Order: sequence, then structure tokens, then C-alpha cells
Amino acid sequence: MKQFILYTFLGLMALTVVAWALIPRRVVDGKVALTWTSDDNPARRGQITLFNQEHPKLKLTLDPDNSDMEKVIVQSIAGVGPDLFDSYDPLQLTAYVKSGIAWDITDELKKRGIDVNKTVWDVTKPDIELDGRVYGCPTNASGNALWCNKDLFDKAGVPIPKGPWQWRQFIPVAKKLTVIDPTGRNSQYGILIDWTGDWEQFCRQWGGHLYSPNGTKCTLDSPQCVAAVQFMSDLVNKYKVAPSASEQETMATAGGWGSGTISLFEGGHFATAIGGRWWLCTMRTEPSLHLAACECPYQDVQVYMGGAKGTLINKNSPYREQALDFSLYELSKPYNDLINHQADAMGPVIKYCYSPEFMHDPSYPDEIYNDVWRDALKYSVQGQISPYMNPVEQNLITTAEIQLVESGDKTAAEAMHDAAAKINAEIQQNISRDPALKARYDREIEQGRP
Amino acid sequence: MASTPKKRTFAALNHTFLFVMSLTFLAPFLWMVLASFKPLTEVEQLNPWPKHWMPQNYAEVFRQVPFAKYYFNSVFIAAWTTFLQVVTSAMAAFAFARLKWPGRDTVFKLYLGTMMIPGVVTMIPNYAIMVKMHLLDSYLGLIVPASFTAFGTFLLRQFMLTIPPALDEAAAIDGARPWTVFVDVILPLARPGLITLAILSFMGNYGSFFWPLILIKSQYLRTLPIGMLFFDSTYGRETNLIMAASVMNIIPMIILFVSTQKYLVSGIQLGAVKG
Amino acid sequence: MMKKNKGDLLPALGFIAPNFIGFLIFTVGPVIFSLVVAFTSWNLEEPGPLKFVGFGNFIDLAHDENFHLYMLNTIYMMIGIPISIAGSLGLALLLSQKLKGIVIYRTLFYLPSFTSGVALMILWINLYNPEFGPINSILNSFFSAAHVAGHAPDWLLSTRNLFGMDVEHVRFTSKQFGLGARDAIIIMGVWMGLGGNNMLLYLAALTNVPEDLYEAAKIDGAAKWALFKNVTWPQLAPTTFFISVISLIGGFQAGFEQARVMTQGGPANTTTTISYYIYSQAFEQFKMGYASAISWVLFVIISVMTIINWKLGNRESAY
Repeated sequence: MKQFILYTFLGLMALTVVAWALIPRRVVDGKVALTWTSDDNPARRGQITLFNQEHPKLKLTLDPDNSDMEKVIVQSIAGVGPDLFDSYDPLQLTAYVKSGIAWDITDELKKRGIDVNKTVWDVTKPDIELDGRVYGCPTNASGNALWCNKDLFDKAGVPIPKGPWQWRQFIPVAKKLTVIDPTGRNSQYGILIDWTGDWEQFCRQWGGHLYSPNGTKCTLDSPQCVAAVQFMSDLVNKYKVAPSASEQETMATAGGWGSGTISLFEGGHFATAIGGRWWLCTMRTEPSLHLAACECPYQDVQVYMGGAKGTLINKNSPYREQALDFSLYELSKPYNDLINHQADAMGPVIKYCYSPEFMHDPSYPDEIYNDVWRDALKYSVQGQISPYMNPVEQNLITTAEIQLVESGDKTAAEAMHDAAAKINAEIQQNISRDPALKARYDREIEQGRP
Repeated sequence: MASTPKKRTFAALNHTFLFVMSLTFLAPFLWMVLASFKPLTEVEQLNPWPKHWMPQNYAEVFRQVPFAKYYFNSVFIAAWTTFLQVVTSAMAAFAFARLKWPGRDTVFKLYLGTMMIPGVVTMIPNYAIMVKMHLLDSYLGLIVPASFTAFGTFLLRQFMLTIPPALDEAAAIDGARPWTVFVDVILPLARPGLITLAILSFMGNYGSFFWPLILIKSQYLRTLPIGMLFFDSTYGRETNLIMAASVMNIIPMIILFVSTQKYLVSGIQLGAVKG
Repeated sequence: MMKKNKGDLLPALGFIAPNFIGFLIFTVGPVIFSLVVAFTSWNLEEPGPLKFVGFGNFIDLAHDENFHLYMLNTIYMMIGIPISIAGSLGLALLLSQKLKGIVIYRTLFYLPSFTSGVALMILWINLYNPEFGPINSILNSFFSAAHVAGHAPDWLLSTRNLFGMDVEHVRFTSKQFGLGARDAIIIMGVWMGLGGNNMLLYLAALTNVPEDLYEAAKIDGAAKWALFKNVTWPQLAPTTFFISVISLIGGFQAGFEQARVMTQGGPANTTTTISYYIYSQAFEQFKMGYASAISWVLFVIISVMTIINWKLGNRESAY
């Protein structure tokens, strides 16, 4: 018995040595291993390979399984966090900074003579900059414009429009592109809008906002927002250039294309669609589709919805200096050219979006409209966020209300009033549960900065 | 009673019945094994028998994921945990079963009481401890917290109580100290209990899912259950490979059971009945 | 045994120390800490002291409709328990015959229980595949062979269930009647548990039934069924009771592994049980305070059930 225990113990110790030896080391053959948690977009691999080629002493790998914000924070607190991670909106950035894991690189960049503010598109700044300090560099920048189905335009004898132009100028063009077949049903529509994705753009273009400037109040019930959503309704019912929800459903099943917006547009029954350049990732695989692009129309304010993603550096990473190389890489020409080439939206650096490689990419000679996408970035903004409201909850409420307008069950005014009421109620509940949040809320109201 | 023809027929019928029943009951296993030898296109067909036999599926599993590492991790962690559990439980059980000390029965009731508490209750604070001590995503974190259960102490105490005290008294008269009594008298007699605990413990830790799921972040630490989980979702529907992996996952357990079932069965029955 | 009462204290401490220290750190301490955390809003991410919210978490829980839905799910999944126990009893009766090589069958029937885990669950995901899985293929061939207009159920992809429970609210509707994900998991659970420890326990108990009871009953002319009802079943009562209590305790805590591996709690949260809810709150959203509160509510429920069961059992098996 005693011997058995002894031998077992020795055996276990031997296994332990083996296990310990097999633990991957951070530095192998002089190369430092860095991890980046991000989504598993196929374009990432090309971006990472290029980085590794340019930095032979570093080996960056993607970890797609642990990219949840909560997971990143907890794992970082436990000392096993990634070196690089992504921030998708200002609230995420705030959470990362507050929990102490985002590295403030403002001074590091200054030392290298880089002023991020002058280098990247405005639309990307909320994801990387907080209270004047910079925590990372953006991975890409996106802004909405109007995709045009060139074949349908040619067939109707309508030239591809050039902006800037307003919605009232758009209507007659859209009407020319809306075709009703002999049975009385539409074989073609002037425009395809993604109600739940595009409503905020319409509101902003009418001068309305989702929240007051400091997020204390939801302002969807303002006359501007109501008018904007009413216009979306008018596109369907008054001007009849866009499909209703059920007509859209019919097109989806009939064409066999599936009901996603991109798929619907690919189906070829829509002359235009509001969308981003990243649609090309899917649309490039459709050779039958001939595309053009033009500026999206606006109403009173020329603004388009856009998005971006920033890559932040883990403050507690033992290799954060090396990770900084990745941020610098995101500002470099090879990286930006790659993003532009991959159509992973567009590169974050302004000047490289003017490069000849972008304007005329030899691999995609038909894509002669990239200046439209670049110019759209000048007017692009991110969706509004309030520190007093969970964006996921807000999205659930606005999606539900917008869908009711789309299906005709509510008028724009009713839906917007209901949405604002629900969101404001949520906000009040959130502050009542969190004393620190309530203090901040009261302070802003007192100082007249709602 | 002699075996009459009627009895033999009855026995034969009985056997046939049992055989057919067990075959039906084990049909999923059969399907799994057969599917593991099929090429992907055949998996979806009704006929369970492969038209083309592909034993190379098994090698392919090792090529697609670090399956050998998963095996190693599962066995390594389960072995250490089992070892620590058995050793510490045996020592504690001896203290409860043989030694008299103030508060002994109260403390034992405490042990019993905690066995009633759902596992999730302690998972959350244990996780927090791992985070604060920077033991997340580490072998230590996987082994140490799982090495202490009240169940092992309980089971071994019951076993030890069945050993006649006369034996230790004899040893005590010879002037033996408690440790000697423990090692030379009790442990050898408690072997069935120790083996039962070892098997149950190993089996439990080999298939442990919740704790590795929340603790493991890096690929190199993955145990078989976690590896199987991510094998299924990352590589999509390569069902034949997944079945091969499942078979390899299960085989050690089958071997373990078949070779030790005598101890296991009597151990479970003894432990439950006495409890 | 040893000499004096106090004289054993020192060696006892030595023996119990390793186990007891681990017990304190990883069991007792966490239980207390968990109780404290249940009254806070702790979420592991914010540095700084715990914020107490009193009974806030529990009040939120009472209003949380999701919690009520998941509780329903958990209870529904326990339908399998009586079936499983009955099946184990049946198997035990079958395998308690004095037949040569009966042990081999016992081994075979025990296999699903002993090997249960992620690998088997993944196997069942494939068995339940509505288009290609063998279960539906067989069912569909039965339907066409019997010329019955039927459609094999969607199993893991369907939110239907035998009680017609609705998806988003605590409601019952006939639209939802059918066989869905929950039932799939129940069936799999019964299969896994049928030949398992319960059967072993019944086997042991059966060998302990005194032969003379059977003899006496046979002399009175009792047929097979009467033998079972009047002799076997009452003799097995303590075992049945024990198994029921254990199964009940287990049933409330069950469902996590199946949900995580096979359905991720879906479709539409229908396979989310209490334990899965605790997991998602604690380890996906890191709302430790809320999750701890849920786990303590679970503990209280289990304790109450067990005490009730104990009282009932003590009354019944007292003969």
C-alpha cells in the first residue's frame, strides 16, 4: 500500500513536469506571441498575416472565442487577458477604461510624433478617445451611402445621380425606377431601406436625436424624429417607392434570396439601397450584379450613420510595448491599403483613402465609385449612446416600435412617443438602482447640461 | 434443481430477449461507432452500416485538433484530483471514524450539511477566488479546488466504520501510534472503499464540464469535454469525425468500468445503503 | 479505543488538516461568501468595495418573468424522473434473475450512465437531427409504412412541449403542444439514467428481500403481479424513497450541461433551466450578486422539498 502511493505520487510528478514543459511560452525563438481578441471575420486573417510579415519579431494570433467585453475584463483582472481587444462603441471604451485595463497611449503616440486626432476619420474617434485621452487606434471606418443597381438604372434610362442631394430630389428619380408589372404588383422598387438599421439616420437628417446631448433624456418624441419616421412611412405608402413589410417578405421568399437586406438587394429587384461599403464583402461574390454608388440623400442635415471599431491595448500586458506596434500598424499605409482592398469598410486613416490604389484597385476594375464612400465618411457619425441606458435594451425597444410602424400597426407619432416613454422609464429605473449614476445624472441636470 | 429441457428453453428465450433488449438499448452507441467509420456523405443516410470504411477518420481527428493534448489534460487533471481527494479524504475519514476528539460529530454534521448544497452556490465564489489569485486558466486552478469534497470523506468513513475495531485495538496494545494504525491496519482493509472512491472520483473529474468551462481560456488547457464542445462548433458538421472523437472520449471510461465494476457496484450499493 | 478523550485531538488535527483546510477555503468559505454576495450588486469588474442592495436581488428575482419561465422549464424536465425510476426498477427485476452471465447484461445496461457526458450529448444532437438523424428517419418510415399522415418532430429545434407551455410568457396554449427540445432532453436523460446507479441500488435491495416472504405469499396462492405488489414493492420502499429524494434534489439542479452543449439554452430559451440561468448570469454577464441570489433561492427550494419528502417518507416506510 505504501509503495503504491509512493509510485503513484512519483508518476504524477513526472506527468506534472511534462505538463509544465508543454505550456506555451510567451517568447518562442525570440518571437513574442501576442493575442488579439476580435470577431472571426475572414478579413482578419489577412490583416494579421501582413502584420506578422512586417514585424518578424512578433507573432500575433487571433482569439475569436473570448471577445465578449465582460470576458475580456474579468480575464484581464485575473491576469490572463489578451494583449489587444476591440471596442465597438464609446460605452465599451468607458467600461474598459473604468475597469483599469485600457492603456492610455496618448503620450506614447506623442513621443512618436503622432496626433491621432488629425490622422483618422471623425467617425472612429468615439471608440478610441475618451476625455481627450487616446487608448488605441481604429481598425476601420464605415459610413452609409446609396448603393445603385446599375442595370436597373440603365434599363430605365436614368443616369447615376451625383450628390449632394436631398430626399425631395430623390423621389422623382425613385419613381422612375419603380416598376409595376401587368398584374399590378411591383417587379421593382426604387429603394430598399432597412427600417431597424436606418431609422436613426433619418432622424438625424431631420435634425432630431435619439438622446439629449448628455444622454439624460430620450428625444425620439421630438417633432423632427416623428417627421423623419413619418417620411420612411411615406416612402412606402405615399410615394410608393419602397416595399411594405409584407411585400418585402414576399420578395424574400419568392426570389429565394433570404430576407437579409444585402441578400434582398442582390436579388435585383431594388434600384437603390442604403448601406455601407462592407456590403462588398458579400456582393463581390455575385458576378451578375453591376453596381454603382452615389451619395445618400439628406433632409435638413447632411449626416450619415457609420461605424467603426477600435483596438485597445491591455494596460497590464507584459508585452504592451510590442502591442503598441499593432496600433501603429493600423495607422500605416500597407494596412490601410489592405482594408480598402478587402472592402472591410474603409481604412481609418484619412489620407490613405485618397490613394490611387483605393480609387482604382486593379483587382476590382469595376469599382470606380470609391470616392463616394470616402466622401460619405466626412459626414458619418456613430449611433448615439447614453450612459444611463443599456444600448442592448434601447435597441430592443426601438426595434420593436420601428417594426410596428413598418408593418403599419402604429403611426410614426405613436411609435416614437411610446419608444421615448419606454426608454425614459428605463433610464429612471437605472439611476434609481445605482447611486453613483444618479449623482452624475442630477449633476448634469442641475448644471443645465441635459 | 436439475436443468430440465423446459428450463433450458426458458433460459434460452430469456437470453434472446435480454440480448435483443440490450442491443436496442445500446443502439445509439452502435450508431456512433459505425458513423465514425463513414465518409461524411454517408452519415446522413438511413443505412447505419458504412459502405466505405474509413478508419483514417480517427487519425484525421488528431490532425484537426490537438486531441492528444486534450487526452493528456483530462487524464493529468483527473489523476491529480483523484489522488489528492483519496489521500485527504482517507486521512480525514480516519479522524472521524476512529479517533475521538471534541467536536468530532459536529464537524461531521457540517460536512454532511454541505453535501446538500447545490454546486453552483460555491462555484461563483470559487471562481472569484481564482480570479483574484490569478489562477484562472491554469492547471492549479483546475486541480486544487476540485480536490476537496465532503463526499469522499463521507464514503470512506462509512467504509472504515465497517472494519472491526478489535484490529486497531490489538495494534494499540502493541504501542502503535495513530499514524501506524492508519497506514498498516485501516488502509489495507479499506481498500475496496478507496478503490471505489478513486474510480468515482476519476470518472467524475474526467467528465467534469462546468468548472473547466468557466476556468479555461487557452487552447492548451482544454480537457476532452471542452475540446469536444469546441470541436463541434468550430468545425461545423463533420459528424463522422466528431463521432470518432466521441468514441475515443468514451473508450477509457468503458475500459475503466469493465475492469473495476466489481468494486464499483458494491461500493455504490454499500455507500448508499449505509447512508 | 485510544486512551483519553482529549488525547486524540492532536493526531486528529493532523489527519484532518489537509482535507479540512481545503474544505474551509473551497466549501465553507464560499458558501458564506456566496450568501453575503447575494445581497450585493457585485459584478467582478469594478474595483472597490461591495455595494449592498439589501433584498434588491431577491425582489428583482420575484418580478423576473424569465426566472418564472426557467423554473417552469426545470420542473417540466423532471417529468423524466418517475419514468426513469420505474424503468430502473423494471430493469432491476429483469436483471435480478438467476441466469448465467446476467452480469454481462448489467454491464451493458450500465454503460450509458457511466459514460454520460459531453461526448454522448453530442451523439444525441446528431441522433435528433430532424432531417438526417436516425430517429426521425425511422419515425418517418413508420409514418409512411403505416400510411399515417404524420411528421416527425423537430426535437432540439422546436419550442413545443407536452404541456403546451408558451415561449415568452407563463401561459399554456395548444399551439405549442408537441415534442420539442425539452422532451428530447428528457428522453435522452431517461436513457442515460435507466441502467445506472438507481438500477444498481434496486438490484442490491432486491437481493435483500427475504425469501420467506415470497414463499409465504406463494403458499397463499399469489400470482406474479400480486407477489410484486404485496411483497417486492413494499420491501423496496426505502430504496425507492431514497432514490426519489436524490433524484428530486438532482432534478432541480439539472439541465446545465445538456443546455450548454446541445441547445445553448434555446430554442428561444426553452431549455434554460435554473442552473443554466445562474451560469449565464454569473459567467457570461458576470452579475455575481444576482446569480448568487438565484443559487440561494434554489438551495432553499431544494431544502424545503427534501424536508417535505423526508417527512412523507418517514411516515410511509414506518411499516
